[in-house]
Order: sequence, then structure tokens, then C-alpha cells
Amino acid sequence: MLKMKDVCKIYRTDTVETHALRGFSLAVEDGEFVSVTGPSGSGKTTFLNIAGLLEELTSGVYELDGRDISALNDKERSRVRNEKIGFIFQSFNLIPELNVFDNVDVPLRYRGFDAKERERRIMSCLERVGLASRPKHFPAQLSGGQQQRVAIARALAGEPRFLLADEPTGNLDTHMADSVLDLLKEINEAGTTIIMVTHELTLADRANRNLFVRDGEIHDEPPELHLAAAATA
Amino acid sequence: MDIGPIWRAMLRNKAGFVLIALQVAVTLTIVVNAFGIIQERAGRIARDSGVDEANTFAFASVLFTDYEREQRKVLIDEDLDLIRNVPGVVNAVASNSFPLRQGGWSMGVALEPGNQTPESVGTAIYFVDEHGAETFDVTVIDGKNFTPEQVTWSLEDDNTWPAYGIITEALGKEMWPDDAGSYVGKTMYINDNDPVNIVGVIDTLQAPWESWTGVERSMLVPQRRPSEFVRYIVRAEPGMRDKLMPEIEAMLAASNKDRIIRDMTTMDDVRKLAYVGDTALIKILGFIVVLLTLITALGIVGLASFNVSRRTRQIGIRRALGATRPSIVRYFLIENSIVSAIGLVVGSALAIGLNIVMVEAFSLEPLAWYVIPAGVIALWAVGQIAVAEPARRASNISPAIATRSS
Repeated sequence: MLKMKDVCKIYRTDTVETHALRGFSLAVEDGEFVSVTGPSGSGKTTFLNIAGLLEELTSGVYELDGRDISALNDKERSRVRNEKIGFIFQSFNLIPELNVFDNVDVPLRYRGFDAKERERRIMSCLERVGLASRPKHFPAQLSGGQQQRVAIARALAGEPRFLLADEPTGNLDTHMADSVLDLLKEINEAGTTIIMVTHELTLADRANRNLFVRDGEIHDEPPELHLAAAATA
Repeated sequence: MDIGPIWRAMLRNKAGFVLIALQVAVTLTIVVNAFGIIQERAGRIARDSGVDEANTFAFASVLFTDYEREQRKVLIDEDLDLIRNVPGVVNAVASNSFPLRQGGWSMGVALEPGNQTPESVGTAIYFVDEHGAETFDVTVIDGKNFTPEQVTWSLEDDNTWPAYGIITEALGKEMWPDDAGSYVGKTMYINDNDPVNIVGVIDTLQAPWESWTGVERSMLVPQRRPSEFVRYIVRAEPGMRDKLMPEIEAMLAASNKDRIIRDMTTMDDVRKLAYVGDTALIKILGFIVVLLTLITALGIVGLASFNVSRRTRQIGIRRALGATRPSIVRYFLIENSIVSAIGLVVGSALAIGLNIVMVEAFSLEPLAWYVIPAGVIALWAVGQIAVAEPARRASNISPAIATRSS
């Protein structure tokens, strides 16, 4: 279970103080598929960064599986990221110098699995995303959809309890976006909790629950933006 | 470990790594060979001349008035008498030269009369009296020092060589390489047919020419030479040398107005002058070693810094996927170790090759077995130190960079 209560995130420079999240509270139950939508600059990515332990919160409480995350040091945060969370990014974020196999291998090496176990997991995940025949290909040799599938395989390889997706279809055409979403749905149905940040309301509707972020605050009900968009659709 | 994927990633961006590996290879090649030369020269400088250098000084007495042969003998005796009686003087002798002076007298000695070549062995000659051994601070390790009766004045019209000699152990070994027994009592021939009976063996007394291969071969000859130019060597008690030098110079200048005292010099200065070339070479090569190592280190810092900037996003992604800060540092250290290892393997082969060429071309000593391994370890350590700061910077890259638009 992922639980945030009154989480605030403030970015400070010498002259400016920006409140990216204000009293942000939510609870995501195990096995949920939650979408988070909102306009640019609303705080979606900041929420994702904090949920994924990529950034520290300024105040509030964040618990992941009942554990207070704010008390963890950098090493422990890295470990939680590696073991409990899988990331899917808009720009895929594959490492260009590594082939498909080595890319999926990256989090597994940090986990400390032996070579045999890593290979089993890598090939199993590549099979699941339909790329088992291309372990030696480099990212540049793959289409956008294939690259995102590799990224999903990488996120799944560590068998995380949570999958955080940041605009996972943002760089894909409609057909590829659908196939990636189908895959996410399938993963969710297999038991993994998914939180997907997107600004596309049609994609957000594929989730079980939709949350809306505006000005750093969370809303369970769709704001006017959503209503307007729905009306024109 | 992570060597496999790091190596495969490096193969996708070879150029920078190849250049650094080459730089490491060239640096190792030059550094170890330069170090080999430094070591050889430092070894030469460190050799014991045999003389109590810290407490010994020398000078010349030059007559500018015509003195008869007998008058010159009297003057030398008077001078030595005066010098030896100065408080603080251990002993003094009049000799033709002394170690490290770069000028002296050499002769060939042979086992058979009239057969100087090609079997004859070169040796430095020091004409001394019975005070020579103590003045030069040499130990008679076998046999005896000269007795006053064995010491003679050279004759004007007779070149017959004195019948006695005290030789260094090195000269004995060269003359009788297969003879493990005493050299005392043996006879060798000098000046073609003149026999020299060895009465004593001394430990160390170098020839005046430090670069001569036979520098350890010397012979004390019990003969005094009454010329207008006389070189005195004085050994002082510890700490007295600098006080005695002006005192004795003034004393001798005052004792006889028909000569001048000149070329007053300490053995320390003589040593400095003798090894000035070696010392300069050591400094130049040392500077080159430091400079090359520094340039290589800067090259490594440059490449690592460039790679950190180029891979900022990748490092953030790795952090997001679970890399700890130490594992990011380790990534760069391993990457540098791989580059260094390639450079050091190539460099070791080049260093051995260059050394073989230098040994053949310049008659240098081959590198000691440990020089290349020591160079390898040192350069590897320099690489790791050089890469440490860029690696530390890399480890501070926030994982949040992974969610920023590229």
C-alpha cells in the first residue's frame, strides 16, 4: 500500500519559493491501477518523483508498505527503489550503449542476483513484452514502441510491487500506445500496483481510478478541465 | 562484478578510451625507463668513495720561486709537519690526487713482467707516505700499512717503480679472479718489468674518475714526489673541517712566502662537481616523470568529467533503477581500471622493448624486476585518484533527472 498524508514539496532558489505539492494526501491499495492527470506544471511529475523516491519531500508523511520513507537514508532509498518500484518513463530512458539484454539487466545487477537468475528473469520479461528474439539489439535499432517494451521489461524484471509510469505513451503513436497500455493492464491484472501519470484523459480512463492534480493539490473529482474535455470528446 | 556491461558499453564509445589507454601506455614506457636511469645514476652517486668525505679537504701548494729538489723536499716535510700538528687534524698527506677529482694517474699492472697487454689491468695510482691510509680513511683489511722505511722519494733520473703496494680488494679480485686466498705477498708487474710486492689490501678507495668502469681499482704507492706543485689532503676531526680550512691556508701562506695556496676545496664540493651531470640528469628525468604522470592524470580527469557530463541522464536513470552512490563511483573506477589495464599491459610490453634497446645502445643496466610492476601499480593508483572526483560528482546526480524531459 502507498500512502501519502499532507505531503508538501517546495523548491527553493535564492529568490523564489515554488510550492509544487501542497498538502498532498492519497492512498493507493495493492493491485490498483491509478491514473494521475493534470495540466502541465500541476505537480504530476513531482508527485511521481516523490512516490518513486527520486526526490525527498519537504514535509508530510509518506509510507510505502507501512514503512515511513522519509526516515530512510540514500542507500536505503536506493534499495527500496530497486526492490519495490519499477519505472516506465516517457522517453524510455534506455541506456544507448547497452543492448536490450544488458538494459534489462541493469536493476538486477544492483539487486545482486547471480548470473543465472538474472538471465532467467531477463528472458522471461523479454518474452512477456514480446522481444525475446532481440536481446542483442541496441535501443537505436528498435522502434519507439519496442523501446518502451524493453523499458517495461526492465521495470518488471525485479518483480516490483509498484510500477510508476510517467507518460508511458507520450512518445508513441496511437497503435503503439494502445499496445503498451494493454500490456500495462495485463501486468496490473497479474497483481502489480500501477500509478500512471498522463495528461491524456482518454488513456487515464483505462485505469481503475483517476486522480486529478491541479496547483499541487489532489482531487478525487474531475476538475472543470476534465469535464470540458469530456464534453468535447 | 559489472565488468561485462561496462566493457561492452566502452566498445560503443572507443575513441576517448583508446586515447587514454595509449597515453597510459606511453607514460608507463617512459616513466619506468626514466626511473631505471634515475635509479642507476642514484646508485652511482651513492657509491662510497672510501674517503671520509664530510671531514676531508684538499688544496695545492704551488711554488713560484725556483727551489732545488732538496729544498722542495724540506718544504713538503715542513708543511706536513705543520698541518699534522694543528689541533683538530686527524692526519694529512701529500698525494697526486684523490677520489672523485676527475684527474689522476693510472697504470697497467700485469701478472707477468713485460707483458702489459692485453692481460694488464688498469688501476689508479695514489702516491702516498705511511699517513695515506689514515688520511684517506681506508681500512687495511689484510696485511699491513706501509712502514716509514718503505716510503721513498722519487729519484730524478730513475723511473724504477717502488717495490711495494697496497691495493684495493677490487683490484685484487680483478688480478686474481680465481684466487680466494690472500693477495698479500703476491707480486704483480708495473711499468713493464718492475715488480710490486703487495703488502696490504684495503676495503674501498675509488679512482679519481667516477665514470670509469674500473673505478674501484686503486693502488697506494709508497713514494713521495718533490715537485713545485704539491697536493695536500687533510682529514679533520668531525665538525672541524670548516674551521681548519682557512686556518691552515693562512698558516701555510705565512710559513713560506715563495708559494701560493690555492684550490682549497672540500670533498663534499668535489663530489658535487663529479656528479653534477648525474644530478642534473636525475632532476630532468624526475621532472619528466612527474610531468608525464600529471598530464596522464589530467587526461583521465578530462575524459571522466566529459563522460559524467555526457552521461548525466544515464547516471540519473541508473540511480532511479536502484544504483547507490557508491555503485556509481564504482562504475567509473571500474571503467578507469579497464582503460588503465589495457594501457598498462601495452605499456609494460613497450617498456621492456625500450629497455632492451637502451641496454644495448647505451650499455645501461636492465630494469630491476620490480620497476615495471611498481610503475603499473603507481599509474593504476594515479588513474583511480584522478577519476575519483568526477566519479564523486557523478554519484551526486539526482535520480529525479530521469523524469525530466530529454
